[in-house]
Amino acid sequence: MTLKLRNQTAIVGIGSSTFGRGLEESQLKLGSIALAEALRDSGLKRSDIDGISIHMGWPLGIDYDRAAEAYGLNTRWVYQSWLHGRFVTSALQAASMAVACGMASVVACITAVSFTRERHILGGPGDLEGCREDGGSHGEVPYLGLTAPAGGAALSMQRYMSLYGATSEQLAAVPIAFRKHACLNPKALMQEPLTLDSHQSARMVVDPLRLYDCCLVSDGAIVTLVTTADRARDLRQKPVYISGMQGIRSGRNEFIFAPPGLGIQQQGVGPEFSNPVFNNDVYEMANISRNDIQGLYTYDAFSPLVLFVLERFGFCATGEAARWVQNGAIELGGKLPMNTSGGLLSEAHVGGWNSISEMVRQLRGQADGRQISSCNHLQWATCWGDSFILGNQA
Amino acid sequence: MTIRTPLFRKSPESLPFWQAAQEGRLVLPFCPKCDQPHLPVGPVCPFCFSDLIIFKESSGKGKVSSFTVVHKQWFPDFYRPLPYNVVQVELTEGPRLMGIFEEKDIADLTVGANVEVGFKILTPELTLIVFSPE
Repeated sequence: MTLKLRNQTAIVGIGSSTFGRGLEESQLKLGSIALAEALRDSGLKRSDIDGISIHMGWPLGIDYDRAAEAYGLNTRWVYQSWLHGRFVTSALQAASMAVACGMASVVACITAVSFTRERHILGGPGDLEGCREDGGSHGEVPYLGLTAPAGGAALSMQRYMSLYGATSEQLAAVPIAFRKHACLNPKALMQEPLTLDSHQSARMVVDPLRLYDCCLVSDGAIVTLVTTADRARDLRQKPVYISGMQGIRSGRNEFIFAPPGLGIQQQGVGPEFSNPVFNNDVYEMANISRNDIQGLYTYDAFSPLVLFVLERFGFCATGEAARWVQNGAIELGGKLPMNTSGGLLSEAHVGGWNSISEMVRQLRGQADGRQISSCNHLQWATCWGDSFILGNQA
Repeated sequence: MTIRTPLFRKSPESLPFWQAAQEGRLVLPFCPKCDQPHLPVGPVCPFCFSDLIIFKESSGKGKVSSFTVVHKQWFPDFYRPLPYNVVQVELTEGPRLMGIFEEKDIADLTVGANVEVGFKILTPELTLIVFSPE
């Protein structure tokens, strides 16, 4: 018999540093600012923290051992993954599982990054990981000149456009929506609306991805505190419960930046691969359906990833997403608001935690001018198949 | 002329593939048990998990399953000038392979285009896989 985790753990504190480009402060310094704010937010003390969860370590971010040493923490549980944005969901899930089984009481999920200082590792000659034998983790083939995560996302979107007739103009609806949201968020780096014209006339980076289809390169820190539901009810803020979870899918029919069934790398093609057969775990654990989801948040490193997650989790049919996101469908007030603080595309790149913080604010009723009314159930999901659902009802 | 290429790492399993490429032949790893080819070259058959692998010559033909064109100068002094393409080709045998599309035929580069493989030896370590319209 497996453990029942629905609503057993909760996010109880969030804190952040300034977000910016070329910030002077070290990642370690930015992290300390975020930690202090998260503690004030939750009412917890530094000595309450006995676990650390990190998905973006050195050199982009900070490692658990330096964080514990520099911040005077003492832990009895740690999670730190391979340095990749893709492990953001796992980092939160690991924290949840640790407190649920009593290996830690309070876990601090710490993300303190400087993409501007370390951008050389993302692509080009400084990207050692991209040189992995038989292809990098985003499909990189550096000896041919295909490098950086953007290269893999471009390969997927090119095929998607060809199969389904999607256009760059349709894709623009994604960054345009998230820019609108950023303009309602004083912390977001981008404060000017994005027009279709600006999107189309901006430079091509790797075809079909244009400048505004690619995430911001920025610096900043966010700390997210996780504890048990029982403990959460004694703290300062309304608990934000973790209701459902599911993990990363992998295999020959998976490519990090494509929905199954698209046909990138060695993926099979066709409905038997693209039907969301395995994408119900998160709803089952949460005991709700996708119709109950009032807002969807995703790792928007590139605009196409937003289309792919909508299809992967069955919010629209295969090949339909580019049409589905038109006419404000993913904007506040639309069918399914997404990334309501601006995402990686327009708020800042803090490994996705900026959107998770926004989910917490929404469920607490603290989202100011971006508030989704009667907000009870929000979902974080990625096009590589992992997800969690947050709710504010015990 | 010096061609400065980014680091190119070859797995031990893939050496017969690159040896054949140097000789102008496209070979694929096949499983003698279930007779399926796979890419990337692995240590076992990913379908039936047999650890016997034999290399057989491929038709060298396939269809472009995807491509992209790079406009950003990620590699300073790269041996290919911007903008340059990369293609992913679905070989008739099934597996997909990365290469480049012959630049002079660039107008014919579309998803679904029928192509055949060629090779260009750049350095003793590096053979380029080049696809051109069939």
